[in-house]
Order: sequence, then structure tokens, then C-alpha cells
Amino acid sequence: MFLATVTKRVVAVEKHPAYENRAVFVVQPIQPDGTPDGHEWVAMDYVHAGIGDTVVCGGAPGVAATVFGLEHAPIRTLIMAIVDRLDYRDLEAGAR
Amino acid sequence: MRLGRVVGLVWASRKVKELEGCRMVIVQPLTSDGKNTDTPLVVADPRGLAAPGVTVVFVTSTDATQAFDTGYAPVNASVVELVDEVS
Repeated sequence: MFLATVTKRVVAVEKHPAYENRAVFVVQPIQPDGTPDGHEWVAMDYVHAGIGDTVVCGGAPGVAATVFGLEHAPIRTLIMAIVDRLDYRDLEAGAR
Repeated sequence: MRLGRVVGLVWASRKVKELEGCRMVIVQPLTSDGKNTDTPLVVADPRGLAAPGVTVVFVTSTDATQAFDTGYAPVNASVVELVDEVS
């Protein structure tokens, strides 16, 4: 899984049936300190996230099919949690 | 899943039977601002969503096989959404 910020919403009319009635967002992966890290991903919401939220994203083959109860789900990245708080210390920078 | 723009079509009359009737397109990955990022790739379009110039969401890896009704095809990228707006 990775930390990310929800940045934009993806609006589509024509889509694969597995995408019907589900919210899809653009997420920007971030490092624990909030700096952007790598390219954007499109992610499907599973926890009612909103734009601006810090979230935990992830997925693996078959996960989306299982959680949504679908036979076939061409879905990889799921928004799995909304982060309330992050306790983090950069150990390398903080080491004495 | 990632955003991309359809920049080309791939025509192939002889292909594996799982891909018969399925178009393949060339997709340039995009940022959400519409800028190019990374190199273009060939993506299967089992639902016929893609057309030249449109923005799509595509899925890669094992999940791409799930875009087919059979749940199996020898692909590693599939179009799953025709994007109207990213906002």
C-alpha cells in the first residue's frame, strides 16, 4: 500500500460494468512528509474519500473482485483508508 | 489504473483467438493536467471505448485480463473507462 493525496475526480459515462456507480479519483502518491512521490494513479474509492484527503491506496489481483463481489473486476488501485493522523519521524535524518 | 490518451490504433488481422474482435490502441500515459508522461504502450480495448484522441482510464498487469467477459485474455493492459472530465 502507499500513501497518497486525492487530487481530482474522474468523470466518465462510458465504462466497464465493474465501474458503474463507483467513484474514481486521481491520487498523487506522497512520502510520509507530504512531498509528491512518483506519477499519479487512478484509484477507485472504497471508503467515501474526498478531494484533499490523505489516503492509503493499494490493491492486488483479485482484491477488487472480492471486496465488490464481482466475478470480473479490472480494477487494481483501491482507496482503502482515509488517514486521520500520521506519526512519523525520519529516522535517518533524525539519527544522532 | 492510469490516465492516458489514445494516440494510435493497432491493426492486426491475425491474432490470438482471445483477442478476435478486440481492438488494440496505442495509449500515451498522461498526468491529470493532460501532459504526457512515460512512454506509449499498446492497450487492448475489449469494450470498444477508445477512439483516436480521447482520454481513457486503463488498467495494467493481471487486472487487465479481468476487463474481458471471459476473465482471461493474453494482455497486460486494457481500457476500462472513456473519460469525460478530470476535475
